[in-house]
Amino acid sequence: MKLTSPLVRRAALWSVAGFFVLAPGAIFVGAAHGANYNPTETSRRNSGTPNSSIVVKNKAGTVIEYGNKYITYTAPPAKLDNLGEALYMENCASCHGNQADGVPANGTTGAYPDLVGLGPATIDFWVDSGRMPATDPRAIEAPRRLPRLTPNQALAIAAWVNSLAPSLPLIPSPNLANANVSDGAALFALNCASCHTIEGDGDALASSTFSPSLRHIPAFQVVEAIRTGPANMPRFTGNLSDQQVDDVTQYVTTEIEHPNNPGGFGLGGLGPVAEGFVGLLLGVGVLVLVCYWIGERQ
Amino acid sequence: MSDVTATNQRAKRKAAGPYGKVGKALNELDDRLGVAKGGRTFMDKIFPDHWSFMLGEIALYSFLILLITGVFLTFYFIPSSAIVTYHGSYLPLDGQQVTQAFSSTVNISFAVRGGLLMRQMHHWACDIFVGALVVHMARVFFTGAFRKPRELNWTIGVTLLTLAIVNGFLGYSLPDDLVSGTGIRIAYSILLSIPFVGTYLAFFIFGGNFPGASTIPRFYILHCLIVPLIIIGLVGAHLFLLVRQKHTQFPGEGRTEKNVVGSPMFPVFMAKTTGFLFIVAGFTALLSAFAQINPIWQFGPYDASRISYAVQPDWYMGFLDGALRIWPSWSFHSFGHTIPFEVLVPALILPGIIFGLAYAWPMLERIYTKDNEIHHLLDRPSQRPKRTAVGVAALAFVTMLFIASSTDVIANFFHISLNSVLWAMRILTILVPLIAYPIAYKICKEMQGVHGAGKRKTHNIVSRTAEGEYLATPTPAYRDDLGHDLEATPVPTYIEVEPDEPDEGGVRIVDR
Repeated sequence: MKLTSPLVRRAALWSVAGFFVLAPGAIFVGAAHGANYNPTETSRRNSGTPNSSIVVKNKAGTVIEYGNKYITYTAPPAKLDNLGEALYMENCASCHGNQADGVPANGTTGAYPDLVGLGPATIDFWVDSGRMPATDPRAIEAPRRLPRLTPNQALAIAAWVNSLAPSLPLIPSPNLANANVSDGAALFALNCASCHTIEGDGDALASSTFSPSLRHIPAFQVVEAIRTGPANMPRFTGNLSDQQVDDVTQYVTTEIEHPNNPGGFGLGGLGPVAEGFVGLLLGVGVLVLVCYWIGERQ
Repeated sequence: MSDVTATNQRAKRKAAGPYGKVGKALNELDDRLGVAKGGRTFMDKIFPDHWSFMLGEIALYSFLILLITGVFLTFYFIPSSAIVTYHGSYLPLDGQQVTQAFSSTVNISFAVRGGLLMRQMHHWACDIFVGALVVHMARVFFTGAFRKPRELNWTIGVTLLTLAIVNGFLGYSLPDDLVSGTGIRIAYSILLSIPFVGTYLAFFIFGGNFPGASTIPRFYILHCLIVPLIIIGLVGAHLFLLVRQKHTQFPGEGRTEKNVVGSPMFPVFMAKTTGFLFIVAGFTALLSAFAQINPIWQFGPYDASRISYAVQPDWYMGFLDGALRIWPSWSFHSFGHTIPFEVLVPALILPGIIFGLAYAWPMLERIYTKDNEIHHLLDRPSQRPKRTAVGVAALAFVTMLFIASSTDVIANFFHISLNSVLWAMRILTILVPLIAYPIAYKICKEMQGVHGAGKRKTHNIVSRTAEGEYLATPTPAYRDDLGHDLEATPVPTYIEVEPDEPDEGGVRIVDR
């Protein structure tokens, strides 16, 4: 059959036309499928932690402290509730609503989630790491920056939101003296390095999301992030025990922060990219210049 | 005092005979081995004086450094996948189950005296080695030094580059750390992607499935013995052909297809090249002392269940990684078989085409230009605009692939979407070579019309007169660029005493 025969030409035209008809349909179906997915509907609420040997309740029967020798989780003090409410109304209510129950994110990329029942650790982490109040509420990511509110103010907001519906996890305080840094290194490679990179520098993930650098982070925030799973990060609850979280936290706050790292300038932890540039531009470059210097001497 | 010294020296010289002490020793050697004739030919080998002819030596000397530091590393490295418990000075690994290969590499870095320096020198020398090969290859390509009669040497050179990349990858994999293990995993998958024979081939090379216990020992013997032996043999052949076919030269006064103009091997070139060896070695040592490379203790041991984000291979494998990253995920599933084009095309077919074209280039150019003459005089890149433009476009293409291997680093550094960077690299990789070709072509065409382009520049002497006026006086051009009549130096048929007065500037001319 010749390529110019009418049958071949007609088949080609039909297939092109078919592509243009079907492709928008496929995109539409895909978008509709994506629209049904709601990440806030997964079981984020009341995520406790296993293996607690200490559990303290208040008079009303609410758990205000739990944990073990590795990490203790404490509820923010109830006396901060009033301060927290005022701060919440001032800084958070415009997006998350007066009752902290969120605002549907119609037409915007970001969602303003329901905060009730997320647990004090979540609220404390977002505010105390400077991510909230967000610089640009419509942005996909709320990057870490210098905190707008003091640690005590963050704690107060967490206290007020928690007072609406008491929930877990509470604010953690890890006891790093009981941690094993070697186990932490292995757990870090297993659970964290796939996004934060093995050197903990963070990197770009798909679609304008980023895994942040793990340097200069207080230990309790590391635990908060692991236990609450902020933004894209998965929440590690049942699969990591408090002892293991303590080990990882120890590794992050000591070895990632101050690595025992001989061998000269680390080239920004960029690995072979930086090494390649140095090797080619500095290494080969300088030697080519030397080559010119020697070669042109008579 | 000086009179006495002079008398003493004269007496010593007299006692040593007409050839001096060294000459006497050499005569003794010649009586037994007959080295004089070959030695004289070797010492009289003429090297044209142009800096770009020394680029290959960077590669040669960094290869020498690789051999020396590599031998040092073999004393302490244990090529075994056996699991041991690490107990050493790097605390975060203490008590972890690691392979002996990894444990011994960490020990080289922390416990062996000078071990880390040697490791870093080995690695930096490797990066420089492959880089110098590429630069040397570019010089040969752009000046047309690969043309008849030197096609065979070009072929050897391309093979050397391929082997250098392969051996670099093998060596990078030996420490069995998390990052290099990921690299082996990718290499294994690339082998698997070959239709029909992939599984058998992968099992044949890796001695079974991956991860397995035979990978490290096999890579070790390949990296330390087999591939280096082939490289050494080919380097020998490369240099033998260089001496046999004599050196190319740039066109200039007194330079024809029938002669070679330049400095003899001994003493001029010998002095230059020995100095260069020490500079390359010293510079590599400096770089290794001040710039860290491949800190495997931070990466930890390889484990199939672990992975680090943002890992790249060494730079010379970067173009492959980049091609893998930007290639769309097309694959073919049918009849119970999968042909993963997303791996097969960028990782095997594409490099096959790139290196195939490099091998075939001398032949392709001969067919295109119908030029079957012997060439000893080089082209200036601007004289052959089409070849230069093709070379620039090819380099641009590979460079774009290389940059594509750091999409995540670019996205993170400029804080833009990784997806945008990926798409930008897909478009740029096709677009940039297409733009580079006409630009390079046009620049070459323009340079052809510029007076004195390609001639080496000499400095101006700026002087200030008593009135305060500044004058720039040009200094004379290089001797080669002036119209000196050069006469061929007769090649001596017997060993003669060196004449008392030294050669002027050491430039000689011999018949080919």
